[in-house]
Amino acid sequence: MNDAAESRIGVFVCHCGHNIAGSVDVAKVAKTAESLPHVVYSTHEMFMCSDAGQQLIRQKIKELGLNRVVVASCSPRMHEPTFRRVVEEAGLNRYLFDQVNLREHVSWCHMREPEAATEKAIDLVRMSVARAERLESLPVKSVKVTPRTLVVGGGIAGLRAALDIAERGFEAVLVERAPKLGGHVAKWSHLFPADESGWQVIAPLIRGVGRHPLVTVLTDSHVVGFDGYVGNFEAKIENLKTKKVETFEIGAVIVATGFEPFKPFGYYSYGESKDIITLAELQELVPKPDFLRPSDGKPIKRMAFIGCVGSREPGNKGHEHCSRHCCSAVAKAASDLRSRVDEVVVLYQDIRTYGRGHEELARLARSKHVIYSKFPRDNKPLVHVTKTGRIKMSWYDILSGDDLGYEPDMLVLATAMVPPEDMADTAKMFSLTRSADGFFNPEHIKLAPLTTHTAGIMIAGAAQAAKNASESVIDASGAAAKAVGLMARGQVEIESTVSHVLPELCSSCHTCVTACPYGAISMDPSKDPPIALVTEAKCHGCGTCAAACPSSAIVMYHSTDQQILAMVEAYLCSPSVTVGGAT
Amino acid sequence: MQAALDIAAQGFHAYLVEKSPSIGGRMAALDKTFPTLDCSACILTPKLSEVSRHPNITLYTYTDIESVIGKEGDFKVRIIKRARYVDAKKCSGCGSCADECPVEVPNEFDEDLGFRKATYMPFPQATPNIYTIDMNTCIRCKRCLKACERGAIDLDMQDERIDLEVGAIIIATGYRLFDVSAYPRLGYSQIPDVINAMEYERLINAAGPTHGHLIRLSDGRIPQSIGFVQCVGARDVNKDVPYCSRVCCMYGIKNAVMAKEHHPNAEVTVYYADIRAFGKGFEEFYEMARTRFGVKFLRGRVAEVTRDHKTQRLHCKVEDTETAKPIEAVHDLIVLSPGIQPPIGIEELVRKLGITTRNDGYVDVSHYYFGPVETKVPGVFVCGCADGPKDIPDSVTAGSAAAMRASIVLARGGRKK
Repeated sequence: MNDAAESRIGVFVCHCGHNIAGSVDVAKVAKTAESLPHVVYSTHEMFMCSDAGQQLIRQKIKELGLNRVVVASCSPRMHEPTFRRVVEEAGLNRYLFDQVNLREHVSWCHMREPEAATEKAIDLVRMSVARAERLESLPVKSVKVTPRTLVVGGGIAGLRAALDIAERGFEAVLVERAPKLGGHVAKWSHLFPADESGWQVIAPLIRGVGRHPLVTVLTDSHVVGFDGYVGNFEAKIENLKTKKVETFEIGAVIVATGFEPFKPFGYYSYGESKDIITLAELQELVPKPDFLRPSDGKPIKRMAFIGCVGSREPGNKGHEHCSRHCCSAVAKAASDLRSRVDEVVVLYQDIRTYGRGHEELARLARSKHVIYSKFPRDNKPLVHVTKTGRIKMSWYDILSGDDLGYEPDMLVLATAMVPPEDMADTAKMFSLTRSADGFFNPEHIKLAPLTTHTAGIMIAGAAQAAKNASESVIDASGAAAKAVGLMARGQVEIESTVSHVLPELCSSCHTCVTACPYGAISMDPSKDPPIALVTEAKCHGCGTCAAACPSSAIVMYHSTDQQILAMVEAYLCSPSVTVGGAT
Repeated sequence: MQAALDIAAQGFHAYLVEKSPSIGGRMAALDKTFPTLDCSACILTPKLSEVSRHPNITLYTYTDIESVIGKEGDFKVRIIKRARYVDAKKCSGCGSCADECPVEVPNEFDEDLGFRKATYMPFPQATPNIYTIDMNTCIRCKRCLKACERGAIDLDMQDERIDLEVGAIIIATGYRLFDVSAYPRLGYSQIPDVINAMEYERLINAAGPTHGHLIRLSDGRIPQSIGFVQCVGARDVNKDVPYCSRVCCMYGIKNAVMAKEHHPNAEVTVYYADIRAFGKGFEEFYEMARTRFGVKFLRGRVAEVTRDHKTQRLHCKVEDTETAKPIEAVHDLIVLSPGIQPPIGIEELVRKLGITTRNDGYVDVSHYYFGPVETKVPGVFVCGCADGPKDIPDSVTAGSAAAMRASIVLARGGRKK
């Protein structure tokens, strides 16, 4: 493929059913594109992403000798890989394709102004065609993948992930900060919906990783340095006791750093009485034949639970989310304990026993005469501790319309799952972003819940969002599949839309090194003076360096100055600007 | 699909067997998805494309499982590729046959709201991109034979039996919707403007039978007031669906938000028992529906829906349990949010595989913690809604997890292509 040959551009405008065609006159867009320079073919189709649409592109490339393709359809975020593959199948370099977003950028946001939307669509297509003319072929590169996965966090998710990877035949390095593996689950006396203790569930996993030759277990350890790119990471792991630092070559990472149970100081007199505890603290109580008050050792007769403590609080950042596990955990604990005390009262907002077997637990609790009472979201229960140490609760029960009061011997607060204290550090270490709930952002909330925006780094378990232990196990196996997929292939393609330093123009000022948000630029010491060097696999192609460079020494492949200026020119110098102009 | 992709990514070969003419499942028919309002087809179709092009995946659509023998690491599966009366190798998906076909029947992909021909493709991005002739409605006029330039139509095609040798099996057979006409008091199938949520999805879908215009089916008018009834065929012991269907609260809220998007001035009410917004970003979405979109939420199970023959409007009797007052709300359109149930035919599949279901009809998993994607038969795995209701991210995650566990079996002695 010779880029220097005269451009022969094909333009394909997509209706996206009614999504685009509903407000944009696609026929007019396609017709206008026909008269643009270098355009030899222009058409519009119902769905460009359908097999028929893809076939049309391939056919026209072959039939008309197209050497540049513009598809005006949806956001490149979903279908850019599809169309790149299509042009490649027809023998073109994948970087000779350009996508115009007529849906998110035009039809959806200008739904009620079809004429203006059509005009904007025409402008965008004209700009894309101008850019396409200057597009250049780029090499398709791949890098090798080190067949070893780092699993951060030795809770139930981390254990499962490490074990799956090892059973599949790859090495796993499992790092846990605490002296022992097992995380929160190991401490819990009861899981739901079945009746195992946390230890019964976690012990086989700990034994499994312990005796598997492919798993390296590092307890009392944490990651202090992390560098590299997909397939080729380097992790520095420090032993907290010996302070010894070991370096590992890593191909993929699974972050399974879990959650913390929220300590609800400032809620419901927590901390003012030993008999007000959190659900996590209740689950950690050692099972004994007698169920006694922590404060005075007297038997507990009346017990109360309050749900949504530190969860579902609109406007309170980090506490807006539902913590998912608590409703079912409360139902389980309440029905278990009901046989050991005289009365159990559960105050709730909504009962979210959604999972398999969970609804049954809630039903069991009620059949055992656990009293459920719904309080309003904007009028939470009041709790105070009297001078004599008694707990007094009062609240408004929505369903009966009455103000109620209760004096439990023990009050259990079902608190939120919140990210661990050092979540921000972990995020920074692995270049992960966090969502409003404080947990890590997946690559796509619907279809890519386990991968992240950083290639080669997966998330699993409660590090991704509040969830229960069984769900964390499924996450862990899923994330392990992603890591194994990378390792089994042995190599991975990387983007060529990266920045490139022109050595003769670089003034060694280091500006780009500090500007790069991904740490992809370093100074090449082999040159004198040292000049900037881009590690392409780490570069995300954001262009920050190119904008910052005072010497214009940085070229952004696939978004060169010439390509962008051509788009600007096409926008500003167009006949249609004067058409219909009187404003 | 996710399971097949994750298996294929490891270099193993996956056979993806699908009963209907196209892969994509229910998600292909949905309009937007919660909680980000991403367009469902738009995020799904890249996956369809990826699956169909993957060198390590062989697609068998319109295909049933006839028998399974063998054990972990060495199963023999006999499949029946049903005759589609169109030669997959010759068909280019051009649609000339459908243009000529004189038979119009209700389109199941549009929940029977629109029409398709006897020769059809369920939706434009159907994968594989080939037509299927529905012999139950075909009148054998043979017009399609003449219309097809490629000679792809073969009305004498026979079912084909194929034997596959596989090391592991993953069940991802999805769900079916609860038949809401089981509640006669809610008026479904008697009152045209009482519809179910899947029909609603097709009505608001730009690629649907109304091009995305949300109208009343009885008279085509724009509804000014819409009610959404939750938990229809979920959490109801009397209808043999004691469990929570997990997705309805969120799709109900999403549908309510979409109603506001289509008709900002319409009054929109959701009738619910508990709002179960438990997943990532769900509670925030619920809050946004209440505050930003002004969707009204009323806690109460709807007792009865009737139609006023003078005004053609729907009267909805319900107790507002928060004020303990019975009320009668008036709507133009009522959307019932059905719960989900094990798919049709799962009993037969379960019997062939020798696995077990629980009394709710879903596939039994071996252990909540040790084997959440394993069945009781080694080498047979399960994911998605086949073992209980799940939303899309949970299904995708389980798909990846099942692929992981299956790949361990394959790596121990499976065939590597």
